[in-house]
Amino acid sequence: MITLTHYLILTGLLFAIGLVGVMRRTNLLMLFFSTEILLNAVNIGFVAVSKYYGDFTGQMFAFFIIAVAASEVAVGLGLLILWYKRNGSVDLNSLQMMKG
Amino acid sequence: MEKYLYTALFAPLVSSLFVALFASRPKMLFTGVIASILIAISMVSSFVLLIDVNTHGALHVNMMDWIVAGNLYIPFGFVVDEVSVIMMVTVTLVSTVVHIYSIGYMDHDKSFNRFFSYLSAFVFSMMILVMSDNFVGLFIGWEGVGLCSWLLIGFWYHKHSASWAANEAFIMNRIADLGMLMGLFLIYWNVGSLQYEEVFATLKDLDSVVVATIGIFLFIGAMGKSAQFPLHTWLADAMEGPTPVSALIHAATMVTAGVYLVIRCGELYSMIPDVGFAIASLGAFVALFAASMALVNNDLKRIIAYSTLSQLGYMFVAAGLGAYWIALFHLMTHAFFKSLLFLGAGNVMHAMHDELNIKKMGGLYGSMKATAILMSVASVALAGIYPLAGFFSKDKILEVAFNEGAYFLWFALFIGAGLTAFYSFRLVMLVFFGEKEYIKHGFHPHEAQPFVIYALLPLGLLAVIAGWFEHQFEGFTTRLLARYEIHISHGIEIVLIGATLCIAVGGIAFAIYKYQRGGFSKTWEEGFFYKLLSNQYYIPKVYELYIMRPFTMLSQFVWQKIDMKVVDFTVDSIARTIYKTGEKSRKMQSGNLSDMLRWMVVGMVVLLVLALFYRPMA
Amino acid sequence: MEHILSLLVFFPAVAGLLGFLVAKESIRAYGISVSVIEFCLSLILWIGFDSANAGYQFVEYYAFIPSYGMSYYLGVDGISLFLVILSTFITMIALIGLSIEKDIKNLIISVLFLEMTMVGVFLILDVIWFYAFWELSLVPMLYIIGGWGGERRMYAAIKFFLYTFAGSVLMLVGILYMGFLYYEATGIWSFALPDWYLLQVPFKAQLWLFGAFFLGFAIKVPMFPFHTWLPYAHGQAPTIGSVILAAVLLKMGSYGFVRFSLPLFPDATVYFLIPVAIICIIMVIYAAMIAYAQEDMKQVIAYSSISHMGIVILGTFAMNAEGITGSIFLMLSHGIVSGALFMLVGVIYDRRHTKMIRDFGGLAQVMPNFATVYGIMLMASVGLPLTVGFVGEFLSLVGFYRISWILTLLAGTGIILGAVYMLVLYKKSFFGQVVHEENRSLKDLNAKELSALIPLVLLVAILGIYPKPLLSTIDMSVQKMLVLMDQKAIEPATKELIMKANSIGGTH
Repeated sequence: MITLTHYLILTGLLFAIGLVGVMRRTNLLMLFFSTEILLNAVNIGFVAVSKYYGDFTGQMFAFFIIAVAASEVAVGLGLLILWYKRNGSVDLNSLQMMKG
Repeated sequence: MEKYLYTALFAPLVSSLFVALFASRPKMLFTGVIASILIAISMVSSFVLLIDVNTHGALHVNMMDWIVAGNLYIPFGFVVDEVSVIMMVTVTLVSTVVHIYSIGYMDHDKSFNRFFSYLSAFVFSMMILVMSDNFVGLFIGWEGVGLCSWLLIGFWYHKHSASWAANEAFIMNRIADLGMLMGLFLIYWNVGSLQYEEVFATLKDLDSVVVATIGIFLFIGAMGKSAQFPLHTWLADAMEGPTPVSALIHAATMVTAGVYLVIRCGELYSMIPDVGFAIASLGAFVALFAASMALVNNDLKRIIAYSTLSQLGYMFVAAGLGAYWIALFHLMTHAFFKSLLFLGAGNVMHAMHDELNIKKMGGLYGSMKATAILMSVASVALAGIYPLAGFFSKDKILEVAFNEGAYFLWFALFIGAGLTAFYSFRLVMLVFFGEKEYIKHGFHPHEAQPFVIYALLPLGLLAVIAGWFEHQFEGFTTRLLARYEIHISHGIEIVLIGATLCIAVGGIAFAIYKYQRGGFSKTWEEGFFYKLLSNQYYIPKVYELYIMRPFTMLSQFVWQKIDMKVVDFTVDSIARTIYKTGEKSRKMQSGNLSDMLRWMVVGMVVLLVLALFYRPMA
Repeated sequence: MEHILSLLVFFPAVAGLLGFLVAKESIRAYGISVSVIEFCLSLILWIGFDSANAGYQFVEYYAFIPSYGMSYYLGVDGISLFLVILSTFITMIALIGLSIEKDIKNLIISVLFLEMTMVGVFLILDVIWFYAFWELSLVPMLYIIGGWGGERRMYAAIKFFLYTFAGSVLMLVGILYMGFLYYEATGIWSFALPDWYLLQVPFKAQLWLFGAFFLGFAIKVPMFPFHTWLPYAHGQAPTIGSVILAAVLLKMGSYGFVRFSLPLFPDATVYFLIPVAIICIIMVIYAAMIAYAQEDMKQVIAYSSISHMGIVILGTFAMNAEGITGSIFLMLSHGIVSGALFMLVGVIYDRRHTKMIRDFGGLAQVMPNFATVYGIMLMASVGLPLTVGFVGEFLSLVGFYRISWILTLLAGTGIILGAVYMLVLYKKSFFGQVVHEENRSLKDLNAKELSALIPLVLLVAILGIYPKPLLSTIDMSVQKMLVLMDQKAIEPATKELIMKANSIGGTH
């Protein structure tokens, strides 16, 4: 029997993977992937908890996040391509204009 | 009569302000003349008031309110009663003489006008001091004379020593003034008023400790102004001022303000005989102490200054022992003969081109007969020889000391009388008689202008006759002041008078005898006592070494070490810490997205941990 | 007349804005005339002021943000009236005596803005607005010091700004907390001071609030050990900045004590009375000693300000009408005297471009009028009777004597030490021979300087001889405040102390 706990463990694992990705990767594209993993980890959590309580707010939130993530990726990838065209690289270390 | 009161009070102020208009101009004779006339007007008004008080009693006016706050009410009120009118007459009389004298004395000074402005301002302050009907009014005059004394001692401000002495006088007086202020505060919070009348009427209801404390505080004030030990050093240094100033301020009037205060508060001090006795003891000590310093000094003016100090001691003995009218009497006679002595010394200085060392004079009688006679008369009066003024007043003080059973004080004063006679005539002998030392130093002395000598005549006359009015004086002043009964039998009294006269005559005779033969041998000057005395018991040196220098050093230390290195440093370190923290943590902001994301994760973890463990108080 | 307070506050600012349109050549005349008009307005205020009424007069009230109890609330009483007049007067005198040529337009406009904030602080009764004016006053001053100051002007300006700013931020926290307490007690928000006066604050809260306000005020006064910004600010500021800083800005701190700390937190005031008094005594003696050690004439006067402000605060904490009235009067007199002394230093600095005492000596011979005016101000500074300095000092010390005689005695040493450093300064600079050749040809006071200084000299004498009109007006409002404090006090010890401090008799 798959219980809520299993889903939450999966969420945690996915989130951890995403987090490591966010922290370790220097390729911007990879960062996007990691962010998506993070978001989807949360989504799974939302849906699972929503099912458990019988409350649809969580599922609604999951859809909301998917929508936001999609638009974010759309804009983000656009900017990424622009940056690639200009610099020939999507490496994070080339992006240091905000150095304090 | 009020108009005479206001005339007496404000004529000097008008004089001062009018002359001040010309203060920075070169010498204008009329300023001196007008100032003298206005002071003379003040003097005439004072005499009118004297007659009026004699017939109609005291006069009290309230001019206007001054300070009003909370329960405190201080008006500009003036009272002319038996004590203040005597002071007024004495002050204006001596002032008039000094003003006229100064026209001659300051003749060649480029700041002639300024001098008269200051001098009249002093008279005004002194009048406020003696006429005020409340303690704060007295304090106005008290500080006012202090200011004028500062201005006049430092009159020749280009001289370092003069401005130094001026500051010393002012600061010493300020120390004492603090004591006096504390006394005023204490009076106010116990009586609710600072008017003499109300204070003296309420005194009997007060705790004796409070009264004693008030008495001590007020006397501390008096000690500064009257230069009593240990605040005496300024008086001798104050001789840096022009000689008329020394005559008026540092002999006749201002320095006696302390005595006036004790007399004025007679009702207070008669309630606390222990404090009174302490005052008298200090007075007797100063009488001897100052006389001893006068014995060996070679500075013409300083000798007279120490003599003043010594005579102030006599006055305090009388005042401390409750013989207020006698203290006032000696104050008055002393004002006459001492100012005469100083003004005569001024003539000598002029003749000798401001030379002060009496060892370089001698034999001046030949060229300055009038001055010599006047100064001799003043010295005889000072020594207390019958029938001159000093005899009557000083002898009474000795009787008082004997009468109170304070034989030790009496003995001190007795010895003091001998010393006084000796140093007075040492001065007269060294200046006017004996070898003509001045020839060796190339001086060509000449007598002062005739009008200067004429101006001195009234003082000369008073130095002779003032004592003859002893009984009228007693009758007049004891209407206000406490009577003083002397219980000594007639026989003992005669013996006492005889003894005092003998020691005085002995002192004079010894001085004449010694200095006709060229004075003491040089070996004396090597002795310990001579050195001790001529260095003023090393007191100025002690003050310099143990008060002034440490204070300067401590101030430097406080500024450079504490304020800069501790307080300001702490403030700056706080600022620097914040600045450095920013500088260090700036590196966090590397601009690298990975780093930022890592920091974000760290932050999130910290927040999560906090959320887990932190429970707000329910 | 009903809008005279608003006019007083905002006229200088509006005139300052218009000043940008004025040509550079006529800006000085423009500035002076604006300040003269402002001064006349404040005199009209005094004439219209009913001195028999102890409460607030010419009150203007508009709800500003009613839901949070913020309002535009102006009013004047005996405590603030003369401080307003002092501000307008000193600004006028400082502008008349102004000798700077560089960027004069910006300078005059800054000064006019500064005038708005000063008058605003003294007139406003809404605490949020008070805070706004309080903080705004820093900006023009920062600009004046930073723009026209000496060599280390940036350091001085920033130190001045940050230090006072840090203090007042804590005060803001206190203000908000106090507003919250008022809301808790009454259910409505209000930041109006007269409303706050009616609130009895719990003792514990009083202690915290007193502390928060204390820091804000103490840094402004400045009290030991928060005083170190002052010597730098004075040392670097141009003459006009020093004059206004010493004469008016410092008074904002001491005014704060009278207006806020005492009536709002009477129990905390009594609780902290002795520690505060000890700080005051340290200020008096410590600053006097440092003043004595200074080599720079302006620093002597800067430190003497600290010393005198010690007596002001001591009088404020005397808790009786004599002391508080005296301390307010001393604020006025110190404003006049220190303003004048800083102007005098400015006079000599304009001629010699140095403020070091050792560069002078014998000035009395070359500049007799200057020496005379300096001497008069010096005597007023050491508190000689019949000058303005005596009245306030005497009253403050009289008042505090009731609290503690020993502390009064210690504070009284200030009159001795004050004489020491002032007379020594005077002797070194004015007496003696002229030792430096450059000093031999110095010009005495010119017409412009005289016209700025003579009014000050006259005031020193007039207020010293006849302070009664001021004292009685101040006294009335102070007594009302004392009654309020007595009514509000929670602790019996406080009531007892106020009772004792205001009654005659009993041993000391």
